[in-house]
Amino acid sequence: MAQTRRRFLRNAGIGLLTFYVSGCEVELTPQEAREREIAHRILSDFEVSTLNALGEILLPGSAMAGLSHFVDHQLGASPEDCLLMLRYLGVATPFAPFYQGGLAALNDFSQIEAKRTFADLNPSDQTGIVEQFSQANPDGWQGPPGPFFYFVLRNDAVDVVYGTKKGVESLGIPYMAHIEPPVGWNG
Amino acid sequence: MKVTNEKVDAIVVGSGAAGSSIAAKLAVGGKQVVILEAGPERGNDDLISSGIWARRLKWAGSPVVEDGDNPVGHAFNAGYGVGGSAMHHYAVWPRLHEEDFQSRSLYDEGVDWPISYEDLQPYYDTVQEECGISGDAEQEIWRPPGDPYPMPGVPLFTQGEILARGFEKLGMATAPLPLAITSTEYKGRAPCIWDGWCDSGCPIGALANPLTIHLPIALQAGAILATRSTVTRILLDESGEYVTGVEYATQTGDKKRLMADLVVLAAFSVQNPRLLLASASDQHPYGLANSSGTVGQSIMTHPAALVYGLFEEQTQCYMGAFGGQLVNQDSYAKNTHAASGAFGSYQWMIANAVKPNDLLGISNTRPDLFGNDLHEFMKNSAPHFASMTGVVEDLPVAENTVSLSDQLDACGTPLAKVTHTTHAKSKALWQAALTEGKAIFEAAGAKEVWTGPQAGMHIIGGTVMGNDPHSSVTNSYGQCHDVANLIIAGSGLFPSSAGVNPTYTIHALTARSGDYLLANWNSIIS
Repeated sequence: MAQTRRRFLRNAGIGLLTFYVSGCEVELTPQEAREREIAHRILSDFEVSTLNALGEILLPGSAMAGLSHFVDHQLGASPEDCLLMLRYLGVATPFAPFYQGGLAALNDFSQIEAKRTFADLNPSDQTGIVEQFSQANPDGWQGPPGPFFYFVLRNDAVDVVYGTKKGVESLGIPYMAHIEPPVGWNG
Repeated sequence: MKVTNEKVDAIVVGSGAAGSSIAAKLAVGGKQVVILEAGPERGNDDLISSGIWARRLKWAGSPVVEDGDNPVGHAFNAGYGVGGSAMHHYAVWPRLHEEDFQSRSLYDEGVDWPISYEDLQPYYDTVQEECGISGDAEQEIWRPPGDPYPMPGVPLFTQGEILARGFEKLGMATAPLPLAITSTEYKGRAPCIWDGWCDSGCPIGALANPLTIHLPIALQAGAILATRSTVTRILLDESGEYVTGVEYATQTGDKKRLMADLVVLAAFSVQNPRLLLASASDQHPYGLANSSGTVGQSIMTHPAALVYGLFEEQTQCYMGAFGGQLVNQDSYAKNTHAASGAFGSYQWMIANAVKPNDLLGISNTRPDLFGNDLHEFMKNSAPHFASMTGVVEDLPVAENTVSLSDQLDACGTPLAKVTHTTHAKSKALWQAALTEGKAIFEAAGAKEVWTGPQAGMHIIGGTVMGNDPHSSVTNSYGQCHDVANLIIAGSGLFPSSAGVNPTYTIHALTARSGDYLLANWNSIIS
C-alpha cells in the first residue's frame, strides 16, 4: 500500500497528509492527524513531545496546528518532495538527523540547566532555554548549531500557523491564490 | 524517439531560461534538439500558490557544498525540474548599462565584457518583444537606449505609493519596475492579477517563464524534452577537440549515451563548471575547456540589501509582484559611493510583494522574535509592512570558485563545492545601500525601519566569456575556446555581475548565441 509520488504531491500540496488507519488510507490535515493521535513515522514519542513543547514556545498554537505531524510527514518524503524550508538552507539530506540531533541537544541542555527534559520544564524556564540556544551554542550543546536549529524550527512553526490560507487571513490580509490550496495546513 | 545511443543535431543540458531559449532557437532553425533535464516534469497545474509548495521548485539535485564567508545560497537560488530557476524567478528584467561592459577599461576595477552594450541591444529589443516586458522607458531615466516597452508599466499599489514619496522627498526618481509580466493581454497571454505569488511559479502565463515562452516553441518545432536525465559526463572524440555527446543517468541510475553534433551546457552557473571539471580526460587533464584554468573561477552572487519598515497606513504589501513595483537606479554609476570605500552599481526594487511565511516572508524579517512577541509582530506588521531590495554588484574575485568536492553523488560524479566571499568594495557598497535605504524609508514616514542580513541573490560567473583564451572559458557566443562544438549558455558567462537582475541578459546573450550557431553551423561542428 505504498503511497505514490503523485499522490504524495497532490495531497501535500493542498495541505493533506496521507496516513494509514486500521489498514485504510485516510487523508488528514496535520491538525486532524494530531487530533486523531495518528502515529508518527520518523520521530519517536519523546522527540515528538520535545518538538511540540518547543513549537509552543516558538509560536504558541503551532503544536495544536499539527507541527509534529507536518515535520514528521515531510521527513518521510524524498528530498525533492520535502516541503520543509530546511531543504534550501544548505543542510545535506536526509533531514531527520538534523531534527533528531537538535531535539536531543535541546533535551541534554535542559538536563544540564534544569535537571529535566525540555517538555517537563515550565514555560518560563523553556523560554529561558530558547533564549540561550537561539543566540549562540551554549556550553555543552551538541547538535546542529543552536541559532540555526532555532531558526529552522521557528520557521516550521510559522509554516503551520501562518503559511496556510486560514493563517494568512487571520492576519487580516487576503490569501489571493492563483491555484488555491483547498485545505489549509491547519484545517 | 528513444533517447539513447542515437545521434541528434544538438543536446541542450538544462531546461531553464538559457536552455529553453537556445533549444527553441535551434529547433525553429531546423535542428533536431534533445533537452536533457535532470529534474522532474512540471506543468502549470503544479504551481499552487503557497510559499510552502514553492519549495519544490528549488534545487533538489546532487548536494552542493558551500564554503566561504558569504555563501551563494545555491539551494535557494537554483531551480529543479523543467524550467529551472526561471520557474521561481521574479521576472525583474532591467538591461545592463553601457558601463557594465567596460568596467575595467573605465574604472580599472572588475572585468570588461568581450562585447559592448551596442552588440547586445538588438537582442534585448528582440527578446523584449518576444517575451513581453511591462515598463515605462521614458520614466526610467537611467535606461540605456532601446525600443520602448511593449506593455505599459505595472500598476502602483499602496506600498509603492508610500515608498515612492520617500524617494521623492530625497530628490530621487522612481519608475515602474521593468517586469517580464503582462500588465495587459499580450500575445494571447492573460494579464497579471497582481496577487504576489511569483515565487510559487505563475500558472496563468502572465510571467515569462520557460513553460510559457520558449519550451512550447521548442517542442512545437520538434525538440524533445527528456526529464529525469542527469548528464554526468561530456564525451569527446579521439582528438579531444570535439564533443561527440553526453553520458547521462536516468532516474533508475542507468547510464546512457546520447550523441550529437553540438552540446549546449545550460545547467546554471554551478553545474556547468562542475560538469566541465568532472569531464577531465587525457587531452583535458584539468577539466574540459579549461586550458585557461579559469573554469569555476569568479563565481558571483548579488548581495541583497534588504530594507523593511512599518507605516501607519495599510500597505497592501501582499499585492503586486514579488520583485516589486518601482525601480530606482540613482546609484548605478560605479563610483557613486567611492567615498565609502565602495565600488559598483546597485538598483532598488521597490515595494516587493511579501507573504507572512517562508525565507523572505514577514516573519523572517525579525528572526529574533518568538512566542507571543512573534504573534504580536505578525498581527501588527502584516497590514502595515513595506520592503525594498537592493541588487548590489558583486565584484568578480578569482578565488571565488566552483570546484570539485571529494564527495561523490549517487551517479559517482564529484559534488560541486562553491566558495564565495564578497569583495570588500562590494560589501562596502552593500552597506552604503542599506544606509541609503533606511534614509528613504524614514523620509517616507516609516514609524519603524530595520534591515536584513547579507544574502546571496542570483548566481553568476564560473564559466566566464572573453576574447582571450588564456583568461576566459568561451568567446562572446558561449563557444568554448578549447572545444568548438561545446557551447555554454546562461549567467555563468557573465564576466561581471552588474547591479541588475540577470535573466533578461541571459535571454539576450542566448538569442545572440543562437543566431551565431545557426549562421555558422557547419564550421562549428566540423
